[in-house]
Amino acid sequence: MINKTLIIIISICFIQFFSNNSYAVEPDEVLENKKQELRARNISKNIRCMVCQNQSIDESSAPLAKDLRILIRNKIIQGNKDKEIYKFLSDRYGDFILLKPPFKLSTLVLWFLPFIFFIVGVFIVFLHNKKSKKILKDI
Amino acid sequence: MKKQLLIIPFILFVLILSTFFYLLITERNPSELPSNLLDKNVPNFDTKSLLKNENFVSSKEFGNEIILVNFFATWCGPCRDEHVYIKRFSNEKGIRVIGINYKDNPDNAIKWLKNLGNPYSDVPLDDNGRIAIDWGVYGIPETFIVNSKGIIKYRHVGPITKKTYKKINLLIKKIE
Repeated sequence: MINKTLIIIISICFIQFFSNNSYAVEPDEVLENKKQELRARNISKNIRCMVCQNQSIDESSAPLAKDLRILIRNKIIQGNKDKEIYKFLSDRYGDFILLKPPFKLSTLVLWFLPFIFFIVGVFIVFLHNKKSKKILKDI
Repeated sequence: MKKQLLIIPFILFVLILSTFFYLLITERNPSELPSNLLDKNVPNFDTKSLLKNENFVSSKEFGNEIILVNFFATWCGPCRDEHVYIKRFSNEKGIRVIGINYKDNPDNAIKWLKNLGNPYSDVPLDDNGRIAIDWGVYGIPETFIVNSKGIIKYRHVGPITKKTYKKINLLIKKIE
């Protein structure tokens, strides 16, 4: 009985692991040059769809997402570097279009707060341990 | 001492709850994004005009007077809703209204303007949506206010309502 459930769980995990994530790129958009297409896909995964706002343009089937995917591919064919394409998009739509917030003075808090919280947490655990050890000793 | 410390999580909880509540009741549309083009020059574009035989060249048109730029399309329902207010703007003194026709069929656009009235002094055509991308447009209708120096001063996403109409009107009187 346990074996059967185990097999089912394992097979579900396998399916999840090996299946491709869904994406919205349509066949007519795909570039012939595989290297360039891969670059376009990678950029698209980092660009937010401004219409749906919680998807990348690689996953979204909104018309604007399609337009931007084609624009990115055209820019790649024209010989633009990835950095230039990101800049082109963030100049027009702001940093919000980048799914990963850039490392800037205004985003320092965003990037460092987790580490600060971690250090504070370690500190608290450390103090707590010391206290409980003392109590144990007293007993 | 220890018992008094226990009140801290409770205070934190109330604080968090009140911030959430504040954000909930204040009029804020989280999906509305600030434009990255504010206080920047109007993007350059050169395209066909729906109303005139000559091309619409942005460098010639902007920079002389306050211009309201409205991205619209006949297939866009909210554009029809805000049309009344766009017409009101075109009757205001000291402002010129331009409508950028976004991914539309020109014949439909002409019919639409005939039926509803044409508030636009010119209608540049953005047939593939490239001009809109340069303006950072992500969902029409969108409305921009450009000052007499050709600098973008305001952007509104979504249809203009009575409230936004008043707000924009006040703004126009303030800027030059």
